[in-house]
Amino acid sequence: MTMDETDLRLDGNAVAGMLAELFGFDMTVEWGGCAGCGATNQLGALLVYAHGMGAVACCPGCGQALLRVARGEGRWWLDLRGLAWLQLDEQARVAG
Amino acid sequence: MGGFVSRGFRGRRRAGAEQATRLPPGQYAETGFPVLTAGPTPRVDLATWRLTVEGLVAGPREWTWEEIQALPGSDFEGDIHCVTRWSKLGTSFAGVSVDTLLEAAEPRPEASHVVAFCHGGYTTNLPLEDLRGGKAWVVWEHEGAPLPAEHGGPARLLVPHLYLWKSAKWLAGLRLLDHDAPGFWESLGYHNVGDPWREERYWGD
Amino acid sequence: MGRLSWRLATVAEVRPETARVVTLALEVPGWDGHLPGQHVDVRLTAEDGYQAERGYSIASAPGSERVELTVERLDDGEVSPYLAGELRPGDQLELRGPVGGYFVWEPGRGGPLLLVAGGSGVVPLMAMLRHRAATGSQVPARLLYSSRTIEDVIYREELDRLAAAGDGLAVTHALTRAQPAGWSGYARRIDAVMLEEVGWRPGEHPLAYVCGPTRLVEAVAGQLVALGHDPARVRTERFGPTGVP
Repeated sequence: MTMDETDLRLDGNAVAGMLAELFGFDMTVEWGGCAGCGATNQLGALLVYAHGMGAVACCPGCGQALLRVARGEGRWWLDLRGLAWLQLDEQARVAG
Repeated sequence: MGGFVSRGFRGRRRAGAEQATRLPPGQYAETGFPVLTAGPTPRVDLATWRLTVEGLVAGPREWTWEEIQALPGSDFEGDIHCVTRWSKLGTSFAGVSVDTLLEAAEPRPEASHVVAFCHGGYTTNLPLEDLRGGKAWVVWEHEGAPLPAEHGGPARLLVPHLYLWKSAKWLAGLRLLDHDAPGFWESLGYHNVGDPWREERYWGD
Repeated sequence: MGRLSWRLATVAEVRPETARVVTLALEVPGWDGHLPGQHVDVRLTAEDGYQAERGYSIASAPGSERVELTVERLDDGEVSPYLAGELRPGDQLELRGPVGGYFVWEPGRGGPLLLVAGGSGVVPLMAMLRHRAATGSQVPARLLYSSRTIEDVIYREELDRLAAAGDGLAVTHALTRAQPAGWSGYARRIDAVMLEEVGWRPGEHPLAYVCGPTRLVEAVAGQLVALGHDPARVRTERFGPTGVP
């Protein structure tokens, strides 16, 4: 089967575990604003491309990358420039 | 959790003994050609496709699809290495040598680095020297067939002596600079140069 | 520790569901419960340190004695052949979670509920239905579940029982590759006509959860919106590329 990005596209859920480890919140239920088009979405609704080198979470409206994360050798790198704002709700804090 | 090993798990690795010497450190041989994507696959119309070489050059150049196909062709046969640890040994690509493109555009003496920019917004940076001397191509065929979109078609950059993220897919052009400008992965913790033989995977390696 | 970090679970039972699908019943020390629809990440480590990670939806309802994962063995998979082929009771497994509160349904969220599954996409939806039954919820619910053949239907007997309980759940199967003799149900892939026939009307404002291979999920989500359903009430969980039912 020829595979293209359609098959490989995932939802925000795909990075839920990684983001929970980083942020201490279940980020899929948290809301963020797209710096590109202004749309607000729960991060679970983002379109995720989980490249082997890292993950890119894109706005379902305009396709802009809201969040880019890469990891290797015990370090994480985060690019959140595509997120105009992020709301973190205490209720979604993950038990530590 | 350090030290836990999953009983009986080997992972999807294939490496014959004869291949081991061709593999850079930390790599395994892959017979397929994994698709790794960081975004939607750009769909590029050949009628409007252009490749440019611009920036610090005496004469910025632009080629249409027909024009680039008419240039003297050049093939690569050999191994490619992805930082995610797979290597594909003994594969082939066809296109044009980047030397041919650079000769046409005439890099200025102060040009030291290049940014490859692509449809969809991907970028990667390289020293100009890594694109010269028969080390780099712009390719549109893989193993005798047109390069599929999911692997960077219509045309991608190919720089096989570096990790494959430097071989930018959906190439739109090369911009010559007098300074280094980290690209998509280089600004997200990956190594600036990416030499697989020195295992330059991450920033600080 | 808790759900933020990797912890060790022990395989208590390996239960075949279909020829390619297996349910793992896990003992997870300190498990704090989960919400129906959530998943865990599973990590495998080889002797040379090589690691592979994948996410798997939790199949069991909250409050179950063990945490159950239902795994389909993909022919060219790296992790699934190990989970659904090699793992034995007594083996340990590293997992992280539960996470994924976005793709969750509980009776308190109301309905009516529309669940659309392709293949192993039924797993998180089954957790929702098991929880619905366990809590005695009467929220009207409809499951539309696409499989290749009747033998590939996961949880078939249990779904028959749940649907026969008379508590407002209807289960509709679509068998896309082959059908048993006398089959009078759908014999094709899920499409807009089927969704309209089986699902709720837009005016009933259902909560929809769609899960399975990415292609199926995107097609169904698009069809639901085109039929007039509110996009804000359609939640998706794409599983990526798998054999499309």
